[in-house]
Amino acid sequence: MLFPTFTFAIFFLLVFVGSWLLMPRQGLWKPFILLASVVFYGWWDWRFVFLLAFSAVANQFFAKAIEGTATLAARKWLLAATVAVNLGVLGWFKYYGFFVTSAVNALHAFHLNADLPLLRIVLPIGISFLTFRVLSYAIDVYRGTLRTSSMMDFAVYVAFFPYTLAGPIARASEFLPQLAAPRDPRRIDTSRAFFLIFGGLVKKMLLADYLATHIVNGVFTTPGSYTSLETLVGIVAYSVQIYCDFSAYADIAIGVSLLLGFELPDNFNAPYTAVSVQDFWRRWHMTLSRWLRDYLYIPLGGNRRGQIRTYVNLFLTMVLGGLWHGAGWTFVFWGALYGGALVVEHRRIDVRKARFKRRRALPEADADTADLGFAAAAPAGAFADASAAAPDSGGSAAAAARSPGAVELDTRPWGGGVWPRVGTFAFVTFAWVFFRSASFGAALSVFGQLFRHWGSIGAAVTPALLLVIVVGIGIQYVPRSFTERAEAGFSVLNPLLQGLVLALGFMLLDVLGPAGPASFLYFKF
Amino acid sequence: MDERDTDRLPLGRRRRTAASALIAIVVALVVGAFFNAPAMKKTAMEMPFGGARSFKLALVGPLATVSHWLFLDRPARLTAEALGRPAPGPPPVQVVVRPSAPPSGKPGRVDPRKPLPRPYPGHPVHLYIAGDSMAGIPGMALVNLSNKTHLIKPLLDYRISSGLARPDFFDWPAQLQAQTQAFAPGAVVVMFGANDRQGLQTASGKVYWFGQHGWTGEYRRRVREAIAILQDGGVRRIYWVGQPIMPNQTFNRQIRVINDIYRTEAARHPGVEYVDSYSLFSNGRGDYAQYLPGAGGQMQQVREQDGEHFTYAGGLRLAQAVMTLVKKDWLSKNGGTTAPASPQPSAKPSPAATPKP
Repeated sequence: MLFPTFTFAIFFLLVFVGSWLLMPRQGLWKPFILLASVVFYGWWDWRFVFLLAFSAVANQFFAKAIEGTATLAARKWLLAATVAVNLGVLGWFKYYGFFVTSAVNALHAFHLNADLPLLRIVLPIGISFLTFRVLSYAIDVYRGTLRTSSMMDFAVYVAFFPYTLAGPIARASEFLPQLAAPRDPRRIDTSRAFFLIFGGLVKKMLLADYLATHIVNGVFTTPGSYTSLETLVGIVAYSVQIYCDFSAYADIAIGVSLLLGFELPDNFNAPYTAVSVQDFWRRWHMTLSRWLRDYLYIPLGGNRRGQIRTYVNLFLTMVLGGLWHGAGWTFVFWGALYGGALVVEHRRIDVRKARFKRRRALPEADADTADLGFAAAAPAGAFADASAAAPDSGGSAAAAARSPGAVELDTRPWGGGVWPRVGTFAFVTFAWVFFRSASFGAALSVFGQLFRHWGSIGAAVTPALLLVIVVGIGIQYVPRSFTERAEAGFSVLNPLLQGLVLALGFMLLDVLGPAGPASFLYFKF
Repeated sequence: MDERDTDRLPLGRRRRTAASALIAIVVALVVGAFFNAPAMKKTAMEMPFGGARSFKLALVGPLATVSHWLFLDRPARLTAEALGRPAPGPPPVQVVVRPSAPPSGKPGRVDPRKPLPRPYPGHPVHLYIAGDSMAGIPGMALVNLSNKTHLIKPLLDYRISSGLARPDFFDWPAQLQAQTQAFAPGAVVVMFGANDRQGLQTASGKVYWFGQHGWTGEYRRRVREAIAILQDGGVRRIYWVGQPIMPNQTFNRQIRVINDIYRTEAARHPGVEYVDSYSLFSNGRGDYAQYLPGAGGQMQQVREQDGEHFTYAGGLRLAQAVMTLVKKDWLSKNGGTTAPASPQPSAKPSPAATPKP
């Protein structure tokens, strides 16, 4: 069931009414919302529901076992088993074909024929997001920062339909406490919810899908048919498309949850205004960044084991993050690009910090707590809001400011201003080419086309296309206060008037949008 | 459920009650449905013939009528007109079925048995690639292969969910006719069928369901009509690509019925060549395979996760098979003339499918 469809609108209307009617009776509400979530997920393929059920039962079993075990060694083994089961399921569904073909082809290169079975495995939609959700539960229980919930609560957390398919990755510690008591039907942030949902629909239907059909798909699949300028515009357009597509889903999911009384974490914070790659990962897919930081980077040692190990940990985290996005070497390379960029930026800051310490005798403790964005070594299990730590300038200059004498150490690798933003956007856009391309060869064809055909502009570059790209980037520079004022103004309108405004908006979307809804890009991850 | 005015968010944003939210949602959906009723009716009409379509039409048909009476369909139409977009709603003619085109006698028709003209630099053969979503990825790969020759100028024109079954959804005969005039292709690659396993409505209004005896005859007539339109437009070679083997057994059986029509019609018409993608995507035992060895022996995933559509590697596999035939016909050193390989186009190709340099 896709969000931008009339089918979902009817489904949600029924769920909304049922949910608030049953909310005071939690014993009825929880089975109801679970059933609604199962219907939503099973709408794609009813067989996938068994995966949800298995995941809920198995992880609850392991979490209870971890909680009920006294010895640390046994708890570690149980956690290892939990991780192995979840990654095993993910590996089977998502990576089996990738690993087997890689193995067969590697052997083939040495003239060895391996008759490994290549099976047709249907990838359950949103399985990667599911894996991250349930692992956050088991790991937090292991760390002692979260107590196990009831089976019903955990099942609702696993299956809650707004975020099932493509996030945000709400952690158990964020969501389960909201199930402890009925949500208050008098305190719904409807205005923000409507803005998020409508804004998400605009981003998806008017911006992302337009760019996909008018230039991106063509440039990335038949690059030889486009001029160099068209190719360049197409590459930039993909940056805008993937932001508008993915953030649209997150916005709609957060808005739909708000209408049901639940708060989900933000997933995007104007990522193309970032002044560095670190800053970008504080703003892009924020719930994934936090997850990778707290459940992968920090367990690997974070920045507690010296500089070299910090760099290795950063690199490994990003490579695995790349592989999480897709079963392909282009995704691994995409992650490695970011890993390398983060290492360069951290090295730059470390060098600067060392010089600074020599000059100013910066206390060691201050250096360790400096905000390094994605790589910040927060205490295990701690929830640190990366976006809150990052001011609008995109970086932090806090560490030395806390020292007596207060001479600031700029921990932004490239400083602030226009050029770091342009440079970061250029790097991110460059990396997206590997993310979007079917193979390295295809990516190189796209890059090659940038140098082959500068004689003409090309018919695909139209004023409308450029306008959509400008709007897609420009909306990230709109101050949050501007949107909040609009939301505040909308919130005081009579509900009838709110409905009429929304109806007019839907009409415009229908007229201006594509003929049929396209699937969201991140479903396949 | 009373609203609590004291419970305010930053900048004075007010929280509202669930009842307020419900009113806003219902008004938005109901009024929005009236505003968009013509488009909803169009969507329902494009569904395959059957109970679900009838049910949806029974719901949205009256809605569209009331919307029209109350002038609620006007804002969408006026907005569309102002923006130069197609008006929402079903087209004035709901069923587009033509009698079979005459087999020959049109001025553009060239005897397919005559030698093909050889393309040369500056005078490429125009290759028009048409079809449904299954043709998308192979079409893109074929465009890439064509561009490399510098002697074949491709034009890819694929429409998702389309086929020969429902001209009321997308009128392929009209599109083929328009593109033969606009792009003047010497060769055409067509790939339909994946969406054609549904009822066919004849000019008399009778609907033949898939599997009925009359269905095969009607579908065969449509294939002949498409061939006639292309050949009458001056197309010298048609490469009719069959559907590949499918993972679902029912779907696969249906595909075999449709492929059989393509194969036999291609055999009956000189200048039409059937491309057997069914075998191309079967494994050594003739079964469905999601992974197949490529030209270098490396295993490749050739079908997407849905099991039906092609990955790029799969599309390339099919495109290479088609390109082999195209090269044999048009670029081989045996025979051929030096006349322009494609006649001069008489109009611009449709904007959605403008050929790239």
